[in-house]
Amino acid sequence: MGLIEIEHLQLSIDEVPVLRDVSLAVAPGEVLGLLGPNGAGKTTTIAAGLGLLRPEGGTVRLMGADPWTGGAVPRRRVGVLPDPNGFYDWMTAPDYLGFFADLHGVANDAAANERRMANVGLAPRRGQRIGTFSRGMRQRLGLARALIGDPLLLVLDEPTNGLDPRGRREIHDLLLDLAGQGVGILLCTHILDDAERLCGRVCVIDAGRTVVQGKLADLLLGRNSQRRFRLNLAGPLPGEGAAPGPAHVRILHQSSEYAIVDIDPHVTPAEAWRELFFLGWPIVTIAPEGGGLEALYLALTAGNTQVVRAAAAEPVP
Amino acid sequence: MSPALRIARKEAGELVLGLRGQLWLAVTTAVLSGFSLLLVGSQELSLLDNAQVVYDMAGLITALGALLAVIAGIDAIGGERERGSLLPLLLAPVPRGSILVGKLGGPVAAWAVMLALAAPYFWAIGSTGQNLTSGMAALLALGTPVVLGFGFLGVALGAWMQSGRAALSVALTGLVLSASPLLLGPSLRQSAIGRMFDAVNPFSAALNCFDAVIIDSQGAVSQASHAVVTMVWLAVTAWAAAAAMRRLSR
Repeated sequence: MGLIEIEHLQLSIDEVPVLRDVSLAVAPGEVLGLLGPNGAGKTTTIAAGLGLLRPEGGTVRLMGADPWTGGAVPRRRVGVLPDPNGFYDWMTAPDYLGFFADLHGVANDAAANERRMANVGLAPRRGQRIGTFSRGMRQRLGLARALIGDPLLLVLDEPTNGLDPRGRREIHDLLLDLAGQGVGILLCTHILDDAERLCGRVCVIDAGRTVVQGKLADLLLGRNSQRRFRLNLAGPLPGEGAAPGPAHVRILHQSSEYAIVDIDPHVTPAEAWRELFFLGWPIVTIAPEGGGLEALYLALTAGNTQVVRAAAAEPVP
Repeated sequence: MSPALRIARKEAGELVLGLRGQLWLAVTTAVLSGFSLLLVGSQELSLLDNAQVVYDMAGLITALGALLAVIAGIDAIGGERERGSLLPLLLAPVPRGSILVGKLGGPVAAWAVMLALAAPYFWAIGSTGQNLTSGMAALLALGTPVVLGFGFLGVALGAWMQSGRAALSVALTGLVLSASPLLLGPSLRQSAIGRMFDAVNPFSAALNCFDAVIIDSQGAVSQASHAVVTMVWLAVTAWAAAAAMRRLSR
């Protein structure tokens, strides 16, 4: 059973369709990246998944229950870091965490709150009012709040927003550690580096539809994302304009210094290089061009989805 | 401690410890001080009958209380939404009804603080007459549902409208209209329209009760009809707050 399961979700706000067909699922111990451009419906998907909005079509299960009709019970073991993430600025961090600990019905004592703060690197700031916190510290406090009640599922909207590189790394380590302990994480982010580091699976939505969902490695492999290369050359290509070009390589750009090429999907890169060397190309170095998650994301959210969907390892449920 | 009580305690803390709450309380105290000084210091106003002074003070406390309560009510939902702190609360494992009850604690706390602030002024200007006790009793009995009703209306508007400023504008317009008996002369209130307005206006009901009890020294039992109007007002606004809270999504 998934911790959160959304299937073919449809939802309108003020009679404007926002979600047309969104599906995703997060299993225990898994980090699912929810990616998509601004306005794609990520926040609305999360809101419906947590029972704040009523679906018009499809099904939503949170901890096995309908979050809309299930009241507060399904959210008991769910931690959420929303974006924007506001606080009671007049409180101190321990008071704030104590307030939410009371709402969760868990321990609210000085030791427990200090432990919660130390968990996210907040201990040195415990005497200050939240209003004096930097953005990064507020983000850590929000994460500490999300972890109250030992959640089985974490729903995090831009959790590393405002954090410096060291802070990001610490939060990455914390999230990976939690995932290792069996906590499922739904990570909504625009920082693709976060997604690449943390997510085993990704779900990309665009214009209210799930474009693709699957294991990140399979998606990257399936898309053959490393098929575009930059070849640095020692000189001009041989017999330009006279000799026939390579059969399995499409030249997108060429000069005497470099060429950008796409390799035919039916051949391996090694076979393509062999052909080019045979034709006498003065290749000095070969570097992948525009690969990885960023290229996948840009391709998926630009309407060019058919090739990717066909290549994806896991069909959209 | 129940979640509702915990949230109510937080709302009260925000009023007393938060910068916005402290500013509003300072403004309220300044108004009460100014009005009291006028009543005892101005040569013309100092000639007023003591019962009239107590009546005026009761009306002012009710109006200021309603203003403070409506602001606390709107801030409890609309203000928190704009500051981004409402969503974590809505996502906490707490029934929506408990959040509502806790949030209604904001206006309740505002009225309690208002009464505590106003009590010395009330005593200072009314202690020399015979009507102070009955005035305080009338203020508690009918002022409370009127003020809390406005606070609950603030919660409803804060939850219903997307903008806190728009909610505040609507609430203040309603408050000024309701409190117009304080501004209108007795002759206007005696007209047909004035009497119709008075019959359904909770603010009028409270003022008419203050008038009857403090100035005319009538018994409390004779004020049942006024009490009914204020209680209906309280019930309707509580229902509106509950309805708006149910559809609150972010």
